[in-house]
Amino acid sequence: MSEYSPIEIIAYTGSRVLQDESIVFVGTGLPIIAAMHAQLTHAPNINMIFEAGSLAAILEQGMPLSVGDTRAFRKAAFAKGLCGAFELTQRGYADFAFIGGAQIDMYGNINSHFEGGDYTQPQTRFPGSGGAGAMAASCEKTIAIMALEKRRFAEKISFVTSIGYGDGSPDYRKKAGVYGSGPYRVITNQALFGFCEKTRRMMLLEVLPGKKPEDIQELVGFELLISPDLKEMAMPSEEDKKILYEKCDPDGYFLKRAVQK
Amino acid sequence: MKFIQSDVRKITSLSPEEVKKRDERPFEFWGPTPSDARKAAVNKKKGLHDKSTTLKDAVKKHLKDGINLGIGGFVNTRVPVALTHEIIRQGAKDLTLSFQSISMCAELLVGAMIAFPDHISVKRAEIAWWGYEIIGIAPLFRHLTSRGEIEVDDYTNFGMSIRFKAGAMGLPFIPIKDHGGSDMEIVNRGKLVECPFSGDSVYLLPACNPDLAIIHVNACDVHGNSRIFGALCTCPEIAQAACHTIITTEKIIDTDSIRQHPNLTEIPFPVVDAVVEQPFGSYPGACYGNYWFDMPEFLEFRKAGDEFRKTGNKDKLKEYFDKYVFGCETFDDFLATRPYKKLKELRIQDQGQSTILI
Repeated sequence: MSEYSPIEIIAYTGSRVLQDESIVFVGTGLPIIAAMHAQLTHAPNINMIFEAGSLAAILEQGMPLSVGDTRAFRKAAFAKGLCGAFELTQRGYADFAFIGGAQIDMYGNINSHFEGGDYTQPQTRFPGSGGAGAMAASCEKTIAIMALEKRRFAEKISFVTSIGYGDGSPDYRKKAGVYGSGPYRVITNQALFGFCEKTRRMMLLEVLPGKKPEDIQELVGFELLISPDLKEMAMPSEEDKKILYEKCDPDGYFLKRAVQK
Repeated sequence: MKFIQSDVRKITSLSPEEVKKRDERPFEFWGPTPSDARKAAVNKKKGLHDKSTTLKDAVKKHLKDGINLGIGGFVNTRVPVALTHEIIRQGAKDLTLSFQSISMCAELLVGAMIAFPDHISVKRAEIAWWGYEIIGIAPLFRHLTSRGEIEVDDYTNFGMSIRFKAGAMGLPFIPIKDHGGSDMEIVNRGKLVECPFSGDSVYLLPACNPDLAIIHVNACDVHGNSRIFGALCTCPEIAQAACHTIITTEKIIDTDSIRQHPNLTEIPFPVVDAVVEQPFGSYPGACYGNYWFDMPEFLEFRKAGDEFRKTGNKDKLKEYFDKYVFGCETFDDFLATRPYKKLKELRIQDQGQSTILI
C-alpha cells in the first residue's frame, strides 16, 4: 500500500463522500483539498463556505492557509463575516461540514477543548470549539476527519465540544435544540465509518484493501458495528493523484506534509 | 421563559462538583451590561468630528484597568496588532478579553503578562478559539490554562459572533441553534430554554458589550466611517457593541468617497472614538487588498512562547517585548526593524485583491 500516502487517502475519501449541488463548510487543509477534488471530478457544482464569511470563492491563488485568508475570499460570490457564514448555515444552506478534534466517541460526539485535569485547570487545553461546535449543530451532515488511534476513538471523551448523537437516544439532538441531522461519516487513513440508523452508533463501512475489521477494531476504544455490506476503500487513480497534487494543493502545503499528531 | 436541560448531563465527563458549581454560579456580564453600553452611546458626542490621532493618545484615553477588551479580526486575519503593541506598551491590569478566534494578539497580551506581571495582566477570556491555526497551538494559552491562571468561558465562533451582534443590536441576549447538547451548555453562561413560540429547545446567549473594541480596517475617513474588504470577521458587530472603539486603518480616505458609496460603510462614525492611520497595522497578520501573512514572524514569537512553556525560562519572551514593543516608540519603529523587501513581498503575495478606496 506504500504507493498511497495517508493524506492522499483521506483527501480522496473526503471527496468521494461529498455530493454535487451541495454547499460544503470547510476548514483549512484536507477539507479544502477534498472539496476541490470533488469539484474537479464528480461534483462540479459543489461550493465551499468558509467561516470567516466567503461563499463560492475561486481558489486560484493556491491553498488558503487560514479560513480567513485573502485566498479564501478570491472571486467569491458573497463575502461577509462570521455572522454571514453561520447565519446561512443555521438557515439550512450548508449541507456538509468537515470537522476535526482530539477525541471522538461511538456516537460521533467530538472533543476539541481539553484532555486531562478538569475544565477549569486542564492538563492539555486545545484551542476550543472555533467553528466546529456550530458546524456540528447546524450543518446538515457532519464529516469528521480523525487519526485512527485508540486514545482518539475513545469510550468516554473528556468534553463534548461538537454534538454528535449524544447518548444515542433518538431525541438527543432535538432536545438539545440543534437543526442538523448529525454525524454522517468519519474518515481516517485506514477506514471509513458511518453511523447505524437504528442505534446511531459508529459503524465500519469501508476498510483499506488488505485490512480486516479486527485490525480496525484494535485501534478503536469502543465496540464498532460492522456494516453487513463492508467494502474496501477505493484508492485514488493516477488521474486523481494528478488532480490532488497539481490542482488542489500545488504547493504541497498539506499533501506533502508527514502525517502528524 | 422555561429553562430546560438537554441530556448532556447523561454523557458528560465533567465532575459532579464542576457541574454543581456551574449550576449555582449567579449570572454576570464580564464587562458592561447592555444598559451600561447604551448609556455610553447616549453620552457620546455624535457629530462628525476629525477623530484622527496617534496610537499613543488613543490608547491612553481609552485603556483602563479591569476593562473588557474586544479584539477584532479572525485568527491571523486583519488583527489589531499595532493596537495590541500599544496596549502592552502602556500596560493595564485585570483585563477581560473577548473575541471569537485569535492567535498572536491574545498571545502577545498574555506573553507580556508572563514577562512583566506588574505591568499588564489578563484575568479571563470569553472566546471560541485561541490558537495559531496551521502554525500550531497557542503555547501561552495552554500554559496559563494548565495552571488555572486564566479563567475561560467557551462558546462557538458563531456564539461569540452573535453575542457581539446582540451587543450591537442593543439586545441583552440572542437565541442560537448551537451549544445545546454539548458540554458548553453546562460550562458557559448561556441557557437552554423552551422557545415560547415554537416550543423547541433553543439556546440563549448573553450579549457581549466590550468596554473597548480594537479594530483594524482597510480604509476609513477621519470621522471613523470604515470600509472592510475580504472577511468582515466580526468587526462591524464588535465595534458597534463596544462602549468605545479605536480604529486603525491602512489608509484614511476622503469623506466624499464615503458619501459616494455609503453602502460600503461597515462601521458608522458614531461608534468610533479614535482613528489612527497605521499602514501594516495587522502585520504579521494579513490584510486583504494590502498584504498577506508573514508566517516566519508568527513562528518566531510562537517559538519564544513555546520555549517558555517547556522550560519556564522567560528570557526569549522578555527579549521579544524589550526589542519589538518597549524598544519601539511607535508601530512604525517596529515595522522599521523589518526589511523593506520583506514588507514589499507581502504586498505582492496579496496579489492585488480588489478594494474600493475612491
